[in-house]
This record gives sequence, C-alpha cells and structure tokens, in this order.
Amino acid sequence: MGGFFSTIFSSLFGTREMRILILGLDGAGKTTILYRLQVGEVVTTIPTIGFNVETVTYKNLKFQVWDLGGQTSIRPYWRCYYSNTDAVIYVVDSCDRDRIGISKSELVAMLEEEELKKAILVVFANKQDMEQAMTPTEMAHSLGLSALKDKKWQIFKTSATKGTGLDEAMEWLVEALKNRQ
Amino acid sequence: MFAKLKKKIAEEAAIAPRPGGATRIPRSVSKESVTSVGADSGDDFASDGSSSREDLSSQLLRRNEQIRKLEAKLSDYAEQVRNLQKIKEKLEIALEKHQDSSMKKFQEQNEAYQANRAKMAEGMALALEKKDQEWREKLVHLEKEKEMLLAQLQEMREQSLNLFQKRDEIDELEGFQQQELAKVKHMLLKKEESLSRAEQELEACRQELTHAKKELQVTSNLPLVLSNEVEELRHTVFFLQRDELVAAEANAENKITALEQIGQELQTFIQHLSADLQNVIDEKNKLIEHLQEKVSSLEKRLEGNFSGDEHVWELLKEKTALEQKLDDTRQQLLTARTNHAETVNLLETQVFPPPSSMPSVGLALLVLALEAARAFNKHLYPPEDSEMEQNGEVAAGDILQLQKDNRDLEQQISEKNKMIKQLQQRMAELKKTLQKELKIRPDNEIPEVREKPNSEVPNAAMTVTNNSDLNDSREINFEYLKHVVLKFMSCRESEAFHLIKAVSVLLNFSQEEENMLKETLEYKMSWFGSKPSPKGSIRPSISNPRTAWS
Repeated sequence: MGGFFSTIFSSLFGTREMRILILGLDGAGKTTILYRLQVGEVVTTIPTIGFNVETVTYKNLKFQVWDLGGQTSIRPYWRCYYSNTDAVIYVVDSCDRDRIGISKSELVAMLEEEELKKAILVVFANKQDMEQAMTPTEMAHSLGLSALKDKKWQIFKTSATKGTGLDEAMEWLVEALKNRQ
Repeated sequence: MFAKLKKKIAEEAAIAPRPGGATRIPRSVSKESVTSVGADSGDDFASDGSSSREDLSSQLLRRNEQIRKLEAKLSDYAEQVRNLQKIKEKLEIALEKHQDSSMKKFQEQNEAYQANRAKMAEGMALALEKKDQEWREKLVHLEKEKEMLLAQLQEMREQSLNLFQKRDEIDELEGFQQQELAKVKHMLLKKEESLSRAEQELEACRQELTHAKKELQVTSNLPLVLSNEVEELRHTVFFLQRDELVAAEANAENKITALEQIGQELQTFIQHLSADLQNVIDEKNKLIEHLQEKVSSLEKRLEGNFSGDEHVWELLKEKTALEQKLDDTRQQLLTARTNHAETVNLLETQVFPPPSSMPSVGLALLVLALEAARAFNKHLYPPEDSEMEQNGEVAAGDILQLQKDNRDLEQQISEKNKMIKQLQQRMAELKKTLQKELKIRPDNEIPEVREKPNSEVPNAAMTVTNNSDLNDSREINFEYLKHVVLKFMSCRESEAFHLIKAVSVLLNFSQEEENMLKETLEYKMSWFGSKPSPKGSIRPSISNPRTAWS
C-alpha cells in the first residue's frame, strides 16, 4: 500500500527516475563504477555479457542506472537502450592508449544518434590511480570532445577502486539535470 | 402315607430279615417271607417225623391252622396290598391330580405369561413403531432443516462471495478515489497557488494603480512646468546639436583634408617611385645598350685579331664587372618592387577597416590612391629589360608551375580518398556476403537493419568488430540473448519496457510484434485501458475467427 501511494505521488509530483546509461569499452570499469555508486563498495566483477541495472539514489534523486556490456560483439546493441535517456556516463580507461581511437569512434557514433540528442554527457577518465594514466585534458583532446557543439558535457578524472572523483562527477550531473528541467 | 407303608415293610423285614432285601419291593418280600416261614415250620415237623398218626393229624391240623393263619395273613397282606394299591392309586390319582393341577397351573401360567408376553411384545412393538415413527418424522424434519441450512449456507456463501467481490470493488474504487483525490488535491494545490499568485499580482496591480494615480496627479500638475522646461530644453538641445554638428563637420573636414594630404603624399610618393623606377630602367637600358655596343665591338675585335690575350682578359673582366652591375640593378629593382608592394598593402589595410566617421570623400580618395598604386604595380611587370622580363617570366612560370603541381597533387589526394572509400565499401559488402555464406548473422548489422542508413555507425561498428572471432561472437550473442531475455522476464515492468527494443532486435521481431509487446506492457503498468488483442504470430492458430459463446 505504501509503495502504491508512493508511485501515485511520484507520478503526480513529477519525481520520476532519471535514466542513465554507463557506456564504454570493455574493461573500462563500468560495472565497478555502477556498484561503487550504488553500495559504495568495490565489488569483484566479471566481464558483463549483457547488462546490469540498478536504482541509485543520490541527493534525493533516483536514478535508474544501466551498465551495458562493452565487449566488441555486443557494442552494437547499445543503441537498443538509447530511447528516453537523460544522461550518458562514458567511461574510458585512462591507461589504454592503444584503444583510445576505438573509444573515440564509438563515442562519436553514439553521439550521432537522434535519440541521445538531449542527453547530457559525462566522461569518466577512469583508473587515474595508475601511474601511466593520461590526463583529462589529453583524454578530452584524444576523444575530440572540444569539437562537440550543442551538447552539454564534462570530463572528470576518477578512480572507481579508490572512489575518488565520483562524487564531484555525480554532483555536476545532478546540477546539470536539475538545470535542464 | 408312604411312611406307614415303609413301617409295615420294615416290620415284615424284621420278622424275616434277609440281607439285601431291604430295598426290595414289599410284594416280593412278602412272598419270600411266606415261603421261608413255611419251610421253617416244615423243618420243625421233619425233626418230629417219628411221631404217630395223631401227631401227624395234630401236626396236619396244626399245619392247616398254620395255613389258615398264613392264608389269613396272606389275605391280610392281600388286603394290605389292596389297600396299598388303593392308596397307591389314590396317591397316583392325587399325584395325577396334582400333576394335572400343576400342569394346568403351569399351563395357565405359561399361557398367562405367553399372553403377557404377547401383550408386552405387542405393546413394545407398538411403542417401538410409535417411536420409530416419531424418529422418522424427526429425521425427516431434520433432513428438511439440513436442506434449509444447506440452502442458507449456499446463500451465505454466495453472499460472502458477493461481499468479497464488493470489497474488492470497493478497494479498487477506494484506490481510484484516493488517486482521484490525490489528483484533485494536487490540482487544488496548484489552483490555490495560482490563485494566490493571481491575488498577489492583483495586489501588485492595485498598488501600481494607486501609485500610477498618484503619479498621474503629480504629473497632471507638471505638464505646464514641463512644457516650459521642454521649451528650454529644446532650445538648448537645438543649440547643442548645432554645435555638435558644426564640430563634426569641422572634424570631418579636417579628416578630409588630412586624407587628401595623405592622398597627395601617396601620389607624390608614387610619382617619386615611378620616377625612380623610370630612372633605373633608363639606366639599365643605357647600360645594356652600352654593353651591347661593347660586346659587338669586342666581337669585332675578336674577329679582327686573335692575338692579344691581355685584351681578352681585360674584356672578360669587364664583362664580369658588367654582369655584377646588372645583378645590382636587378636587386635594386626587386627592393623597389617589394617597397611598393608594402605600401600597397598598407593602403589596403587602411582602406579595409574604414573608420565609421570617415566621410565618403576620404574613402574615395583612398580607393583612388590604392587603384593608382595597383596600376603602378602592374606597370612594373612589363619592363623594357629583356633579361628582367625573362627572369620575371621564369619566376612567375615557376610559381604557376608549382601552383599547378600543388593542385594536381591535391586532386590526386582527393581521388585516392575516393578510391579508399570505394574500397572500404566493397570490403564491407564482401564481408557481408561472406558472413551470409557462412550462415552466420553478422551481429553488428542487426541493429542497423531497421535504422536509417545514412550515419557512419555501421562503418564504425564494422571496423571495431571485425577483430573478433565469428564463432566466439555467435556464442557471446547467444549468451547475450539469454541474459537479456532472463532479465526481461524477471525485472520490474518499468525496466522491462526499456528492454523491449533489445529483445525485439535480438529475436528479429517485426515492428508489429514489437508494438504489441509495448502495448501489453503499458496495459500491465497502467490501471486503465483494455488488454490489447493478440496480433501476428501470437494469434491463436485457428483458421476461422472465433465466435462469441452467447
């Protein structure tokens, strides 16, 4: 009964769940980020063949966060999840210099989709705890972020295992989502 | 009676006691006793046998007497026996009578008993029958009651069912009511908000109105004062404007004069430059003529005499000196040209961002100057010096050649790019056909099938995906499908709604089927609406449309 009323009130007063996609190449740390955001702990992960979906509450805002598997063969299915997306968290491995080009082409392909035109983009330059990690500026340049017009985006350096940078990024995202409404 | 008899028998037995005869019946005893008595007496006689006839007669007499006595006794006995017989008979009769009476009594009793029993039995049977009847009636009654109760139970059950249904309905209605209530509340809240806002606005408007009225009052007093002030101001403004205009005019005139001066200076500079150039060219011409003369004279001299090596040396020296001079003049010419080009550039820059206040006259002047400079610059290109001309031509030719080469190269690059694109497209096509022949669905293609074909996504996906093993990818695809379907069936409806697209793509659903899924889920998620009818392949596999069961 309580749930029943809460759904009524939430549907009446417009506090609907925000829909967020976490995308990126395999091994970038998407699943670790998802569960770090949800339970605040580092979990042991295996390669995601499929996806994980969790409800994350941050600053009284509810997010339905989808972590889609990033392996090469299942990347084409990302587009099946694009509709009604409020924000995209694009996770990049800061140490993977060899595949930054692939990461860029996937990002560009994704941003060309009509369904994501209104979505906010947050790039997580992940694995910043490693020594040979690229700086956010370097990454933004490599990903061609500066060429993005009419798209609200921001890049943050994060470390999902250490838990650094995630709060700032989420804070920015919450503000961006609030301003958008 | 028997006691007497027994006594008698006992007496007799005492007279002739015989062992074992106590239990004999009295008649036989009496006989034996008779015989024994006679024998005894006979013995007595025998002992006396030797006596005389008298004795014998006396004995006979005595014997007769004894016989008589015995006979009397016998008759006595007989009498007794007869009496006994009589008594016996009497006793028997009595016994019989007694027996009869007892029998009768017995019979009577028996009969009475039987009768009683019969009566009792009858009574009991009657009573039983009665009871039975009663019970039966009661049973029937109970049965009826039971039926009634059953009916009542059924009724109650129906009622309870109805009640349940009603309760459900009431619950549902309550839900709707609450929902409606919440909606109405929400609307009310909004309305109240808007009302308060409107009131505030109204208040503000009222305040403004009063304010405006006050101002109006104040201002209605003012117009006279203001008109005066306006008049004054108009005067002052007029004067000021005139002053400003005059000043601007003066300024413009000054600028014009300055620009004219600049123009004149430029013209003089240009003239100077042209004069310099003319001089240089003249000098060059002269020099060339001179040199030609010298060359011709030298040639003549050379033809004239081949001796005089010294002369030849000198001449050679002269020639080199002259050549150097030529170089120098060429250098001068070049510097002059560059100077000129610079000035032209300067002028151009002055012209292009023209100051807003600059009058058109100045602009025209500047343009004129520029034109003149350009004309002059053109004038430089056809010089009289043949060598110069050649040189210039060569340089220009070089430049042209280089530009041409550049263009050619660019064209080649674009052609190569085109070729590369074509080859990439062909490669993609070949890959597709290869995959088809291998009967393996190209995973990266699936999402593109129904999508717009314009974007470069397929290309990107192709380049990114081609490094994976086909078999491997198929396995991953199956695992992916399994995962998505499992999640689709187990997750919340709001999440499942976002999975419809993925499931449809993975299982190759048609657009119709996908829409049906969406409608069904929407129906499940909402409280209203009707269940969408099945379409396409999930329709029941019957040939005729179903008729209603009414």
